[in-house]
Amino acid sequence: MSAIVAGVDIGSTTAKCVVLGEDSRLLGKSLSVVGIDIVKDAERALESALADAHVSRSDVSFITGTGYGRYKVYFGQLVVTEISCHAKGSNFLFPGTRLVIDIGGQDTKAIRLNEKGEVVDFAMNDKCAAGTGRFLDVCANALGYDVSEIGPLSLQARRAVKVTSTCTVFAESEVTSHVSRGKDPKEILAGLHASIANRTLSLMQRVGVEPEITFTGGVSQNEGMVHALRQRLGTPVNVSPLSQYLGALGAALHGRERLSGGAS
Amino acid sequence: MITGGLDLGAGVIKGALVEDGRRVLATASVPSRGIPVRAARRVMDDLGEAANIAPGEVDYLCTTGFGRYTIPERNLQVSDFTSSARGAIFLFPKTRLVVDIGTQASRTMSVSETGKVLKFKMNEKCAAGAGRFVERCSKYLQIPLEEMGPKALASENPKLISSVCAVLAETEIINNVAEGVALPDILMGVFLSLSQRAYSLMRYVGIQPEVTLVGGLVRNVGMVRALHATVGMEVNVAPDAYYAAALGSAILGHSRVLKLARGPGGAGG
Repeated sequence: MSAIVAGVDIGSTTAKCVVLGEDSRLLGKSLSVVGIDIVKDAERALESALADAHVSRSDVSFITGTGYGRYKVYFGQLVVTEISCHAKGSNFLFPGTRLVIDIGGQDTKAIRLNEKGEVVDFAMNDKCAAGTGRFLDVCANALGYDVSEIGPLSLQARRAVKVTSTCTVFAESEVTSHVSRGKDPKEILAGLHASIANRTLSLMQRVGVEPEITFTGGVSQNEGMVHALRQRLGTPVNVSPLSQYLGALGAALHGRERLSGGAS
Repeated sequence: MITGGLDLGAGVIKGALVEDGRRVLATASVPSRGIPVRAARRVMDDLGEAANIAPGEVDYLCTTGFGRYTIPERNLQVSDFTSSARGAIFLFPKTRLVVDIGTQASRTMSVSETGKVLKFKMNEKCAAGAGRFVERCSKYLQIPLEEMGPKALASENPKLISSVCAVLAETEIINNVAEGVALPDILMGVFLSLSQRAYSLMRYVGIQPEVTLVGGLVRNVGMVRALHATVGMEVNVAPDAYYAAALGSAILGHSRVLKLARGPGGAGG
């Protein structure tokens, strides 16, 4: 099947789009911030990925939408849940994946897969900002950093300041009081990352921790978080620069299966 | 005999002076920012000034709240549950259920006629059910904290909040503002959301009249209206209910002194 397919993943914070060509080769991708007009954001995500792939819209045979805003991908032919897409994308990139941990802007999911890469169980937190990208955003802000800086900074800490609050709001006050007591911001950051790793582990334990573990979602691009997870788990964790796009990639692959008449 | 009660809360330090366990001589409060011990001394000074009493004339000091162990000159410390309950019974003797909504925690307890706590439930893990949520809303909506309640009273069609997290609710509220929802409706939605959290704690303990609201949020008319609507029964409120835990600890201090005076047999606990 040589048709070109695209997957659009509209998350709570960013939109990701992936364009796949022949033999599921990656032709192009895009990453953009989601605002109030989700319909327009979805359009723009597709346009940018097509431009990146040097492919025109009429060459795309099938488009699949996923993520929190998947029902706003009006131009798509299929809608698939992000759980299913992250599973498929992870299985494609790391075929040995048995557990996917997806930490996004506003929710966290643990998804367990069988040998065929099918979803057998999942657990998720979408009720509370604790343990999500939002938690890191708020804490980075409280310390006066951009969220992109905090992972690398946390890695420079020699020890971690323990952060005991679960709630994002309370953690923010805790961070501020640590700063006023003269604690090193890097050590506070190390503590914050360790705290998310702890929360993530308890989510993972609800579905069963089994290697290989693949880390997806926006927070997977934070090296400090990857390190904290590896430390907490004591096992390797698969990550790639494409990890943030695995939902979109999975969506595109679902579309390809649908196109070729297979089960999706 | 004059006893003092100090309630070292996460947001505000409250104090009370009580004569013979019955008569309120003075109440005072300061924000807990900075060094709590220093703020607590200021509360004690303010109390002395208001009641025209020298520091040495306070016979016994009982502390409560989050920071109750930080005051070296205390004679006794009691838990927030015990002091709030005692204060609520003092203000409204028929109280059977106390709801205490503070800056950082909300708690509810059922009490006996004598103010003994029978059953309790508390939320201190999550800001969604506490005053901190209102403070944050006040900040990003740019409405002074003390105007939040009065403004909410104009609400005709409250905009309910679906998020149960204070941080995720923030996004939702900002979206509501962007969509042009009337401000009073947004504010009442905030108070209804807090009320619903309190209500689930109350249901766990068992709802029976009379219900008395105490703690930091009792001064907020929007909160009182919302709680009343959510619970569907009268809720006792009084200006001094803001100081319920401080009053309760002063009263408990008085009882302790009497018990001690009765001899070693009564000095347990």
